[in-house]
Amino acid sequence: MLEIKNLHVDVGGTEILRGLNLTIRPGETHAIMGPNGSGKSTLSHVLAGRDGYTVTAGSVTFNGKSLLDLAPEERAGEGVFLAFQYPIEIPGVNNVYMLKAALNGIRSYRGEKELSAVEFLKLVKARVKAIGLDDSLLNRPVNSGFSGGEKKRNEIFQMSVLEPRLAILDETDSGLDIDALKTVSEGVNALRDGTRSFMVITHYQRLLDYIVPDFVHVLAKGRIIKSGPKDLALELEARGYDWLLEEAAA
Amino acid sequence: MTALALVAGAALEALEASPHSERGTSLRSLRRAAAARVKEHGLPTVAEEHWKYTSLSRLSQAALRSATATDGSAVSATDLAALALATASRLRVVLVNGYLRADLSTLENLPTGVRVQSIATLAEQDPERLTSLLEADVAAGTTFQALNTALLGDGALIEIDNDVVLREPLHLVMLGAGTELLRGPRVLVRAGRNSELRLIEEYLSLDAAGGLTNSVCEVKLDAGATVFHHRLANESAHSSHIGRVAVTVADQGNYVSDSLAFGGELTRVDIDIILSGRGARCRLNGLFVADGTQHIDHHTRVEHRVGDTHSAELYRGILDGRSRGVFNGKVLVARDAQQITAQQTSNNLLLSRLAEIDTKPELEIYADDVSCSHGATVGELDAAALFYLRSRGVSPQNARALLTYAFAQKIVDEIPLPGVRRWIETRFLGHTDYSQLLTALDTP
Repeated sequence: MLEIKNLHVDVGGTEILRGLNLTIRPGETHAIMGPNGSGKSTLSHVLAGRDGYTVTAGSVTFNGKSLLDLAPEERAGEGVFLAFQYPIEIPGVNNVYMLKAALNGIRSYRGEKELSAVEFLKLVKARVKAIGLDDSLLNRPVNSGFSGGEKKRNEIFQMSVLEPRLAILDETDSGLDIDALKTVSEGVNALRDGTRSFMVITHYQRLLDYIVPDFVHVLAKGRIIKSGPKDLALELEARGYDWLLEEAAA
Repeated sequence: MTALALVAGAALEALEASPHSERGTSLRSLRRAAAARVKEHGLPTVAEEHWKYTSLSRLSQAALRSATATDGSAVSATDLAALALATASRLRVVLVNGYLRADLSTLENLPTGVRVQSIATLAEQDPERLTSLLEADVAAGTTFQALNTALLGDGALIEIDNDVVLREPLHLVMLGAGTELLRGPRVLVRAGRNSELRLIEEYLSLDAAGGLTNSVCEVKLDAGATVFHHRLANESAHSSHIGRVAVTVADQGNYVSDSLAFGGELTRVDIDIILSGRGARCRLNGLFVADGTQHIDHHTRVEHRVGDTHSAELYRGILDGRSRGVFNGKVLVARDAQQITAQQTSNNLLLSRLAEIDTKPELEIYADDVSCSHGATVGELDAAALFYLRSRGVSPQNARALLTYAFAQKIVDEIPLPGVRRWIETRFLGHTDYSQLLTALDTP
């Protein structure tokens, strides 16, 4: 599904990703962990197509297509979804309307019929229930005046409506209390259907208690220095990253 | 001599040549004085502070002729129905080229205590009253106002009696028809003590009507009166628009205005408010949207003549192409007008590198116990928000339209007229799916 090969990315003249390799197959959930400044967020932004990141070498293939050649909305059309670490507030744009424009944008990219307001609302109301979101969030401007937890929940809600093939969760757990963490995780788990893939970027093992990964990778200094099964996260929690960095340097 | 001064001169001659009668002498001399003033002063030039950013050179070369009632006589109810009016109000007053058309209006629907009268009729039947209604403002007015008075053909006098509350909006449809015409609609509004009125003043063009509209609307609020005034300038691309709104608010009166300007080649709107009695307040909101080579200029002036008066102002401009916007907001606090509050904000969105905005607050304060604030911003669409929307699958065009609409929303949200809101939505998004979805969302 997703194949990242030897990815080098430059931000403002500094090389942040230095030869990153990662393969995610359909239905798999991969956790990306690593110390601050290791390039985790850069990876998520590059995959989503944000400006300001220069790919100097390497390739990213998504279902056979070169992802890096596509505009952000085309990537969404192909089924890539990024749950932002810091969801953007857009005062004046209604949350549900934004979602309808997004879903219909994706459908039209795929050559599918756009949904009417009635069809769309039916879908949204079903999803909002499934995700345990407060109904009143629907009628508000996108993330505007939302608490940190509400913003993250809203990201997961958007994901549940847009039904991506690959969801990238960029520190979705940061700033969440334990109840919000549970709700968000349940939302994610409800979407794990054996074909949809997830890339979960996190600092903390705690999230992985709820969203159990198939693989854990450690990203440091722009490349993956260690990969392992889910137990690797527990080891990192106990031992930190230093031993790995030393191992990698040796 | 400019084309406009020529028009004024011709009108003056016509005035002299028309048969004299004892009645109407004062009105005649008022108009003569106004015409003389136009000839003497000519049109304002960019050398004048308040016309610094708006050149009338495009106007003054255009051949114009003062519109008469017959110029628009062919306009029918069918023409009117074909226009996408901002609201389909039950209370409609239609002026074609500035001339009141009772046959297209619905004056019969006006409730007791509210009267709408043709100014031409008033000039015939009671010229002394008309003179007294015009006099005070003419003395203080601008050259364009003097031109309007000199060429006075018709207009509407709207009166609402003391304590009468008219909840339904009164829709003034100011329709332009024909080309190379100078239109001079005049509207006089008199709101009695503790009355309440909601007025929509909408300027639009039939087909590709051209020329210049030079309108004057004077509003007087007696003590405790409330007037909501929604002004929409949306004429054809071949038209230019010079509009003046002059308002006096007596004690405890409340004047709320939103001025929306979208159409026209050159638009200049002057809104002058005098808060003349204690407890008087006004709120001025504005939205202007220009593209291509359009030029839209808003000048507002709020005079706090006495203490305990309050004003708040929010203007937003959206400029694309090579268009240019101007906002000048003046607040004047008279000597010893203590404990007033005045707020002013101007936010502007530039959608193209060639678009330009000149925004300027002007404060003149002669009292010491006042609370005045002002602020102006100029920016582009938020790149982070654009990326967020695109990452969700929204096309760049839709994302930009949506963010632009969102910028306008702040003003639009304050307008409690669904028709106006739908119209603005269509202008930005090309459809009304947005409000439809919100309505559907509210329906259980």
